[in-house]
Amino acid sequence: MLLFILKRLFISIPVIFILATLTFCIMRVTPGGPFDKDKAIPPEIKANIEAKYHLDKPPFINTPAFHEKKWINILTETQYFYYMKGLARGDLGPSYKYLGRSVTDIIRDSLPVSVELGFYAALLAFLLGVPLGILAAYKHNTWIDNAAMFTAISGITLPSFLVAALLIYIFSIKMGWLPAGLWDGGWEYKVLPTIALGLRPVAIIARLMRTSMLDVIKADYVRTARAKGLNEVWVILKHVVKNSLIPVITISGPLIAGIITGSFVIEHVFAIPGIAKHFILAVTNRDYTLIMGVTLVYAVLLIIANILVDVFYALVDPRIKLS
Amino acid sequence: MKKYSWTRVSWIAVILLMAGLIFYAKPWSKKSLPVNEFRFVIASEPPTLDWSLATDNVSADIIFNLMEGLVQYDADLNVQPALAEKWDISKDGLRYTFYLKKDVVWSDGNPLTAYDFVYGWQRLLDPKTASEYAYFLFDVKNAQDYNSKKLSDFNQVGVHAKDDHTLVVDLWHPASYFLTLHAFWATFPLRKDIVEKFGSPQWTEPATIVTCGPFKLKAWEHDYKVILEANPLYYGAKPKIQTATAYIINEDSTALSLYETGKVDLIRRIPPLLIARYKNHPDHRSGPFLRGYYYGMNVLKKPFSDVRVRKAFSMAIDRTQLTALLQGNQIPTTSWVPKGMLGYEPEVGLKFDLDKARLLLAQAGYPNARGFPQINMAYDTRDDNKVIAENLQQQWKQNLNIDLGIENQEWKVYIKQLQTDAPPLWRLGWGADFPDPDNFLNLFTSYSGNNLTRWKNKSYDAFIEAGAKEQEPSKRLAIYHKAQKILTEEEVPIIPLFIDAQNVLIKPYITGYSLNAMAINILKNVEIHK
Repeated sequence: MLLFILKRLFISIPVIFILATLTFCIMRVTPGGPFDKDKAIPPEIKANIEAKYHLDKPPFINTPAFHEKKWINILTETQYFYYMKGLARGDLGPSYKYLGRSVTDIIRDSLPVSVELGFYAALLAFLLGVPLGILAAYKHNTWIDNAAMFTAISGITLPSFLVAALLIYIFSIKMGWLPAGLWDGGWEYKVLPTIALGLRPVAIIARLMRTSMLDVIKADYVRTARAKGLNEVWVILKHVVKNSLIPVITISGPLIAGIITGSFVIEHVFAIPGIAKHFILAVTNRDYTLIMGVTLVYAVLLIIANILVDVFYALVDPRIKLS
Repeated sequence: MKKYSWTRVSWIAVILLMAGLIFYAKPWSKKSLPVNEFRFVIASEPPTLDWSLATDNVSADIIFNLMEGLVQYDADLNVQPALAEKWDISKDGLRYTFYLKKDVVWSDGNPLTAYDFVYGWQRLLDPKTASEYAYFLFDVKNAQDYNSKKLSDFNQVGVHAKDDHTLVVDLWHPASYFLTLHAFWATFPLRKDIVEKFGSPQWTEPATIVTCGPFKLKAWEHDYKVILEANPLYYGAKPKIQTATAYIINEDSTALSLYETGKVDLIRRIPPLLIARYKNHPDHRSGPFLRGYYYGMNVLKKPFSDVRVRKAFSMAIDRTQLTALLQGNQIPTTSWVPKGMLGYEPEVGLKFDLDKARLLLAQAGYPNARGFPQINMAYDTRDDNKVIAENLQQQWKQNLNIDLGIENQEWKVYIKQLQTDAPPLWRLGWGADFPDPDNFLNLFTSYSGNNLTRWKNKSYDAFIEAGAKEQEPSKRLAIYHKAQKILTEEEVPIIPLFIDAQNVLIKPYITGYSLNAMAINILKNVEIHK
């Protein structure tokens, strides 16, 4: 298994490299730069700033070096080369917006908060989504099934900003039970964002679990288990649920990565100092290095999540062998 | 693995997780709020607290409470002594001598000296610092050359410490606004030993930063909150509050919810389109703001290359419609210098006059807009800009029979577009860096990087230069009167629309927080009566 994990990690290096290159290209062709503002800066000052961040060099190909016949400099004296050189050393560079702060610092400060919130939401998703799916499938075509699926469809279709706004309106402004935002340590600050962020994954998991269980419940070995006279609860838990979990596990990797990084709206609405807001703000600020940093974080999370999913497969389903 | 071990391990893991969660959350230990804490909202993470590098209002909201300059503004934006006790200006207006207060100490107990200013200015001008606001000192002799690496010896720059408490500054040319620049953060003093010991930006962290204002930096939880606490060594009257916490909240509606649920005491930005809703709220307060909103025209592009068209457009707008839409106490204006500044002349500029507007349009070759080219008006994506653009579009249609398209772009794309190839008609605003008309009128000189209209006028340039050099306020007023006439009546490269206003919500138990037209966030007089 260790070999499998190592192999997968090794393959992911070129993936990250290609992703970094693509992100770099897309950023540089987008109009507007980090230091473009409505208040114009005198040219000599702009030159100082650009020199500080290597933005005075061409993005990809240094044509003046070509004319001067400094062949190596054509590729090395470019923004791309400087960035990649830093990246190879694990240096994500300085942020252009938060002057003097490094992208690594920003990620180090904000990622744990998003992971914490994501963890609560994921926990909610599994603890609520799986039983809801089981119940719906077991009570197929009854009012319980309909009610569970109605909740699930609502969870999927309602945009999270609306859910968040509704929760704030009801529980903070009207009832005054829970804070309308902030992240001050106490549990009460975590309830509403967790529900707002977790509702959609709850719905996705519940639906998936239900569908998958409806398939498994008709399988021959389930009929055999019942024919053997096994306890119904035992049949469901041991034979049906365990085997129905495979599609849920498949989706859980990207789902968790998505919960952690995709909670922009929730973090924004609840003023939570997580990483997700940088996905948007870094782009509006044209904070090139931060855009790259958060993109790479997302990529790494996805890669890790997918590897973990594969490992879990092998644990849950003995038919799957890691190689 | 044994038959059931996997299930067992999972159960143990889940139980441990739950236990950890409950222990972590500690629902039984409700934290009580610190007493005498003032809580307010800032709209983003301060990009920096290094006052040589800061360029934005959010950083300023914090820095202005940590630090002071040689001078400061009173509530009416008059210059008052701060770290300087007094100053002399030579008769020719070229030499400024500042005498520092002798009892000022930094938050680590060291005395403030004139050398701290020299170092602060040197660092601001150092090309390696790459400070955007280095140009604030370009009136100082040789400062620009030092910044652009034409000169490497800082001793030749026109600033030096005569002794510990005397700072002497030599200028290239008289600059009547020069004194106001010392209330601006970029010119504040800096501790060389601290900056060099900890390096940038670590020296601005709470454990290392040394300041001399009414508050000290107690904590800075990036992207979440900045906590200030009263500085016991401050030379002036000590702040009445012990702690001030700035919560970083990007979303205006969240700030409003937190305000309504009592989590914050002050929000300084109500979303423009929500102002109407809060206008009659007992906590709502409105104040002046030195910020102008205008539409600019690219005078190199048809049809605005013709001054008659520019005039017609300006005269065909009833500006009161816009302020009625916004409802935030904005002041409609046809002139450019805002209210609260020397040179504010509401009677200057082209007034709403439909007959004349139509006549001018006809004279320009477009009677009843016949043959008028199809153009778009451009704005950057924002709710209030949209409302204004739609109203203007409708007014120009109704009043001049001109059909204009509307085009909006994301801010950075928009600003890049304006700076490289401005469309015929576009919107922008300008906020004062210092409360002097030069800061507003200089914008449209032929050499200004901010003049996106491409309009050039030699006599206008000459008036602005003369106004900057003139020390006598009444003479300056006369010069700026002529300049504003050219800008808003004769040549009309811009259509001033209104002067912005501040709209805030502040809890009734807070006193001592006053709104000044520079929107400087001063907390030292704030009191809480709960």
